[in-house]
Amino acid sequence: MRATGELVAKRGYNDVSVELIVKRAKVSFKTFYKHFANKEEAFLALFDTEMAAARARVDAALAEEAKAPWPAQVAAAMRALFESILADPIIAKACIVEAPTVGPVIAERYDGAMKSLAPLLRRGREETAHGTELPKTLEDTLAGSVLWSAYQRLIVGEVDRIEALLPEAIIFVLRPYVGEKEAMSWAEASRGQNEEKNGPKVSIAP
Amino acid sequence: MARERPANDGGGGSDLGPLPAGHHGLSREQVEESQRERLLAAVANVVAERGYRAATITQIVKAASVSSRVFYENFESKEEAFLASFEAVLEHFEDLVGEAIASETEWQRQVVAAICAGIRFFESEPELAKAFLVEPAAATPAIATRFREAVLKWVPFLEQGRKKRADGAALPDSTEDSVLGGLVFLTSRSILAGAPPRTVLHDFIDFALSPYLGAGEAARLASEAEENFP
Repeated sequence: MRATGELVAKRGYNDVSVELIVKRAKVSFKTFYKHFANKEEAFLALFDTEMAAARARVDAALAEEAKAPWPAQVAAAMRALFESILADPIIAKACIVEAPTVGPVIAERYDGAMKSLAPLLRRGREETAHGTELPKTLEDTLAGSVLWSAYQRLIVGEVDRIEALLPEAIIFVLRPYVGEKEAMSWAEASRGQNEEKNGPKVSIAP
Repeated sequence: MARERPANDGGGGSDLGPLPAGHHGLSREQVEESQRERLLAAVANVVAERGYRAATITQIVKAASVSSRVFYENFESKEEAFLASFEAVLEHFEDLVGEAIASETEWQRQVVAAICAGIRFFESEPELAKAFLVEPAAATPAIATRFREAVLKWVPFLEQGRKKRADGAALPDSTEDSVLGGLVFLTSRSILAGAPPRTVLHDFIDFALSPYLGAGEAARLASEAEENFP
């Protein structure tokens, strides 16, 4: 599965063959076909595993912040998502950039994964007096925005910039609900909290 | 430029009739030109109908009513044909949006005009919208890259909105990126769902303008544009 992901990230889904996968994974064709019927199934398994892992990270982060105000929960969830990407950028590239090109089954799951964040965001409408006036499509669009910016960085291989992107993405997502000033201070708070936990990282751009 | 724009056959059938055989009074250059145009239009139609990956050169030449030899005289591959078709449509799209922008002086009015022009275009050409807005991200790396370039070309135009705020420079660098990404996402979503592009007009304008003008003003301009949309 891992070999599948690495190859897909490097060569694009179309140019990966089962032969390449088994070579890379150093297993036999027989072993491959014992687990998967074909390349698509192997990639789908990888995709599902990665999505489940990312979701678990997000859920854990949310559980930790269960009593925190809503903006802090969103910031924590987004940090968990970005950490999933950074934990394994190659596999993330396969799942985020290449996956939509694989076929309708994955495209649907991809869409589903993105939609799963909408309920958390939608709660932000209760945070603000103008919650009912916000566009109905806002949550989906915000999820699309963040994914697109992360996607850009993954494509051009600027993995280190993904980390710098996090506070900006937090501001972008929170702004429609709590206004810009507050959004900025929540992004700042999230960064501070993280440094407290993991120590400051000199590599992070301000 | 209109010269290269794939003809729209009304969105119905994707088969273009063959050129009249024999003495049709067209020069060799005219025939070749026409064949290329047919291929460009056929690529869009077939990709819209079947998706980029499932589309084959056989289907494309059939829809264009030309031989595969003619296809290979013009293009090396399906990817090259798709990119050529994309360029032709993009050029036309950029002309339309450019004209709309030139018709206004104030930045926020220009954004509204640009969005309305874009939405009108895709509403009148649903096949092109499907082929060139939804499919590229899922086609090949070269196509996805070209698509992203075409989207990011609008960053400087959006960035002008920063001047509308006293502290415009303080907006995060990725603001324009995120706005454009959200808009692309919202459009593909509505096209895939079969919703007419105009249903997202309001939300589109609201989303694009609010980082620069604030939520209230953005929503006001969005509602106004929706009411005036023909």
